[in-house]
Amino acid sequence: MYHRTILSRFAAAAFAGASLFASTAAFAGEVTIWCWDPNFNVAIMKEAGARYTAKHPETTFNIVDFAKADVEQKLQTALSSGTTDALPDIVLIEDYGAQKYLQSFPGAFAELSGTVDYSGFAPYKVQLMTVDGKVYGMPFDSGVTGFYYRKDYLEQAGFKPADVQDITWDRFIEIGKQVEEKTGKKMMGLDITDAGFTRILMQSAGQWYFDADGNLNIENNTALKAALETQQKILQAGVYKPSSGWTEWVGSFTSGDVATVTTGVWITGTVKAQADQAGKWGVAPIPSLGIEGAGHASNLGGSSWYVLESSAEKADAIAFLNETYAKDIDFYQKILTERGAVGSLMAARTGDAYMKADDFFGGEKVWQNFSDWLSKVPPVNYGIFTNEVDTAVTAHLPSLAQGAKVDEVLKEIQSQAEGQIQ
Amino acid sequence: MTPTPAPSARTWRFLPAASTYIALSIAAFVSLFPFVWMLISATNTSIDIIKGKTSFGDAFSTNVTNFFTLVDVPLVFWNSAKVAILTTLLTIAVSSLAGYGFEMFRSKMRDHIYSLVLLTLMVPFAALMIPLFMMMGRAGLINTHVAILLPTIASAFIIFYFRQSTKAFPTELRDAAKVDGLKEWQIFLYIYVPVMRSTFAAAFVIVFMTSWNNYLWPLIVLQSNETKTITLVVSSLASAYYPDFGVVMIGTILATLPTLLVFFIMQRQFVAGMLGSVK
Repeated sequence: MYHRTILSRFAAAAFAGASLFASTAAFAGEVTIWCWDPNFNVAIMKEAGARYTAKHPETTFNIVDFAKADVEQKLQTALSSGTTDALPDIVLIEDYGAQKYLQSFPGAFAELSGTVDYSGFAPYKVQLMTVDGKVYGMPFDSGVTGFYYRKDYLEQAGFKPADVQDITWDRFIEIGKQVEEKTGKKMMGLDITDAGFTRILMQSAGQWYFDADGNLNIENNTALKAALETQQKILQAGVYKPSSGWTEWVGSFTSGDVATVTTGVWITGTVKAQADQAGKWGVAPIPSLGIEGAGHASNLGGSSWYVLESSAEKADAIAFLNETYAKDIDFYQKILTERGAVGSLMAARTGDAYMKADDFFGGEKVWQNFSDWLSKVPPVNYGIFTNEVDTAVTAHLPSLAQGAKVDEVLKEIQSQAEGQIQ
Repeated sequence: MTPTPAPSARTWRFLPAASTYIALSIAAFVSLFPFVWMLISATNTSIDIIKGKTSFGDAFSTNVTNFFTLVDVPLVFWNSAKVAILTTLLTIAVSSLAGYGFEMFRSKMRDHIYSLVLLTLMVPFAALMIPLFMMMGRAGLINTHVAILLPTIASAFIIFYFRQSTKAFPTELRDAAKVDGLKEWQIFLYIYVPVMRSTFAAAFVIVFMTSWNNYLWPLIVLQSNETKTITLVVSSLASAYYPDFGVVMIGTILATLPTLLVFFIMQRQFVAGMLGSVK
């Protein structure tokens, strides 16, 4: 019986070919969304969609799950070829790439300023989706950074949590030397094949690879210079555990080999997954570069939602994003609790989940802290070519380890970046 | 007492064989290790995989359950199988006829046209992608499996492969069949196909594998969860912020099985076919 069904299905497809021609056309009132990560963005969007459909039964959602690189490839192809009916209604774009799409395809994305009240969001998230004073996206998850530290290791080396609040990176290195002396543990894991740490340091001082007008800003970038100098000091002091690649870097702290981690808030779930380390971790603001304009707040990664101008369901899509992501405080509590997602809506901090003390971090109100830092992340212009310049920076990180002069390295990065983006 | 050969002579005889075996063992290890590691990893949790655990674990059933919860497995396999089998049958039908035609029929333009066909091998797919996508968009074929089939069925490589193999086909057979009154299509179907069956088998294996593993074009054309093929699903699982590598490994194993099966079933004919084309 079973075999017959398979056979007849096969026959139907092979000989008539009829089912092949049936394209799954979008239904009216169905909002199609492309995003990546089934356990994060997809799951969160399903939750948002379910909440909206409960109130507006005429609107349903079709959430299509592709790899991040795949979403970008498909979006690029459809926009370049002008085949707009192949596009979804809403698409997720990584923040570093937002300006590239907004500026390369003017008119492709719906302007949301006027509809959405952006004053409620973290300013840096709004800045990255603004072109010529017009705002185009719905800010979503944030990569606001924190300084995660092992209280037990620091204590063995004679430091209290208060000793790592609002410190500079120079102080960090001094502490690191003592921690290694007393505990044998390195201070941090460092992957010099990835420029993520460089970006965190640079943005903490309010600068980026591009200036406010979008011009390449490398040679005279004081924040980038300080970021590279700091890394060279860390490399020379030897207070780090080298790791190559993401999984090895994650392994450096999940295994308990290093005393601190400086990265985006999204790492919290991975830190907390080590149940045997409960109560041993604390979170402080990240150290400062100690130069003019430098602070203790920065960002790594994050992405946002965009509505396509060509969308047949444009009005519905915008209304949906506005009602959920710009207003629903309860929704933000749920995605924080269930998925570990920290959104960019400042008002979310007034909810239960954000107010809660976390036992894993010894009863600290970590989410209130992250929310404070979120509002302080310096807005910068991510420009059109962040990924290209990042490649140039990554290529030159190893020469820092070999003791090259930072000014020389900056010059080389500048010329490689110029070659790549022209 | 049996005389023992001098040690030097024995070493001399033994060495080449030993070095061959050592070289082959290294090659076998390098090509088999990823498969073994895939099998081992499928039984471990994501954390153990990241730690580099190289022994079997007990998370296999959890990984399988998670994979089947995240992925509509029957639908995805049905999509992949439909695309791969139809592509293979149509490609072989079209390209074997073309290869046969290029070799059997003589004309002034034959080699010029043949060069043009081969020239298409030199254009990278990335350059064709956007125009092809626009064509499919105008034809209303976006998000259909037909859009994956159409551009591949006239495959320059398979046409080339059939033409080269056809050079070994005895033309006397065709002449004899003509004398017996067979029409061209009858010669092709009743004489050429049976004689060249190892060539067809090898072509089947090549096209099936390429089509089953095809990634870029299906990715561009397919738009919904209902039409996605297994390669897209595995890619999506692997690109999560924290990929569950155990689940990814289950997906990879399931995605590899059909190509392995096809290869092992047709291995003998495949080898014969590849040898035949060199003659």
